[in-house]
Amino acid sequence: MANDLSTGVPAASAALTGKLIALLEDFTQDWDHEFEGGMGRDTRLLADLGFESIDIIQLIVAIEEDIAKKKVAFDKLLMKDGRYVDDLSIGQIADFLAAQP
Amino acid sequence: MSTKTLFIGMDGCTFTVLNEMTRDLPGEGVAMPYLAGLMAKGVRAKLRSTPNPLTPPAWTSIMTGKGPGEHGVFDFIRAEDKGGDVYWTLYDSRDVDAEMIWSIASRAGKKIAALNFPLTAPPPKDTNGSIVPGFIPAKHLRRNSHPAGLFERIKQAIPGFDPKELAWDFDKEKQAMETLSDADMENWVRYHLPREEQWFAIAEYILQNDQPDLMAVMFDGTDKIQHQAWQFLDPGLVPAEPGDLYRRVRGVCREYFGNVDRYIKRLVELAGPEAQVFFASDHGFTATVEVLRINSYLEDLGYLKWAVNDGSEQALRREASDFANLDWSKTIAYCRTPSSNGIHIRVADKPGDPGIPAKDYNRVRDKLIEELKQLRNEDGEPVIVDVLKREDWFPGAHMKDACDLTLVLRDNGFVSIRNLKPAVVKRPGPIGTHHPDGIFMACGKGISEAGMVARRKIVDVAPTLLHSLGLPTPSDFEGKVAESFFGESWLAQNPVRIGLPTQRGGERQKSEEMDEGEKQQIIEQLQMLGYME
Repeated sequence: MANDLSTGVPAASAALTGKLIALLEDFTQDWDHEFEGGMGRDTRLLADLGFESIDIIQLIVAIEEDIAKKKVAFDKLLMKDGRYVDDLSIGQIADFLAAQP
Repeated sequence: MSTKTLFIGMDGCTFTVLNEMTRDLPGEGVAMPYLAGLMAKGVRAKLRSTPNPLTPPAWTSIMTGKGPGEHGVFDFIRAEDKGGDVYWTLYDSRDVDAEMIWSIASRAGKKIAALNFPLTAPPPKDTNGSIVPGFIPAKHLRRNSHPAGLFERIKQAIPGFDPKELAWDFDKEKQAMETLSDADMENWVRYHLPREEQWFAIAEYILQNDQPDLMAVMFDGTDKIQHQAWQFLDPGLVPAEPGDLYRRVRGVCREYFGNVDRYIKRLVELAGPEAQVFFASDHGFTATVEVLRINSYLEDLGYLKWAVNDGSEQALRREASDFANLDWSKTIAYCRTPSSNGIHIRVADKPGDPGIPAKDYNRVRDKLIEELKQLRNEDGEPVIVDVLKREDWFPGAHMKDACDLTLVLRDNGFVSIRNLKPAVVKRPGPIGTHHPDGIFMACGKGISEAGMVARRKIVDVAPTLLHSLGLPTPSDFEGKVAESFFGESWLAQNPVRIGLPTQRGGERQKSEEMDEGEKQQIIEQLQMLGYME
């Protein structure tokens, strides 16, 4: 798998990171959150962007519609050891999408 | 280009209230004088809703001309019984397995606008016109509006536009079914005034500037207000000596209906004298006086076992949710949600699975129907007056997703799924609930002036709107054009035509192909929403 030599991030995930950032910048452009600076792989949905549960559902719809162009089994990302993860970073979502068949 | 057809939806609107709002009441006057004038020179009928008169299936029938068995929407949530557990999800437009009139009209080259209708998000990308969906939180309204840029255009053009005032607020909407204090009740009614004003402002802007062939807007404050404030609206419940609270809350309710009258006047005038104007509601309203704890009764009959409640915060929250919390290994018949008003019977796929063997289905179901009809309240009255089998009431490709049995209660109430005894209790006082008969009305050029005519079916709205637009009824529609709504000479010049069948609707097929992982994802999403622990 090709890597971005400067970051060590696989190329597919790096490309998806860019798409996710573009989507999330549009998604949150008129929200009342206090996040400052540019989004990156480490930006977290809940802690940094102020996501709530309904926002995750809407984001999944947006990713399926705009990026994946199909339904995606997000449970494998959202669940760890039978529990819902506390937060997700953009990088985690990009890696997950890159690993989809 | 000018608007041919103006469609104003009013969620839960009923003639019981509308007749009061459009007549001169002693000491109160006429709350809706403009609508009263329209009704006097138009046509109207009761509109029989879907078998379970509920917002998502009923509005979807209005938009598709098909019943829930065909369009596939039965409730607010969608559930799948997987044997070991039941999986829940929320419906969206991709689940509607029937083409909506917005799409049919778009394909015919007509321009449309659909504002605040449920199940229209995410909006189909091939829509020719504007969609601002209902039931969507403020933060997500922009992305779910169509076409891209519409939301910004509205924001810039309408002074005072505030999506937070306009959009669905989950916490506030939950109050519709809660018991509120006097002050909270008054605030609850008042909250809908600016909200509806926002939807009106969008409708006014789009009608004025875009002049779509089919202009449709839905006002849903009618439903929310009637849920909480029915006792202030039902002419049969006027107290002998109205107190201060009664006068105050009734006053705010009448102010709401007065505002809607103003919206109607402006929209009808903007549409112009050539337009035909239609009004419809998804169901009516009435009073419910008792509570049926249906799962509690099914437990008494031996059909279900409750999940073990260990007293933890998590368990208590789960128990208080509106999704049945059961021991799935020992349950064969149960009610999933209060809004479903129905019972699912679990059939085992193979020996050892929970549920009854397929060969016993008819016997078990017939026995259960008899047991349900035998239930009496403390006054000896039957609580369940009818039990509907799904093959009779939900024919179509999605019949298997319907409740096996849909209950009709004597007071049209929704069941409770709480783990409480006794199974039937009287309410402290009457509250609002859905009635199967909503409203369907029309006025304008070419419309009959016959006044009240014979009742129509909810699936008749879609073909009637398409006919008004000059379009044929798709051959696979269940509904028929309400010919009694049109004047004889207009109908002679514009005869009803049957056209090609509809094209496939949403993306239901994709969701049916979800794998096990996706099911788990849905559970997690609902946990995040607070529906599940």
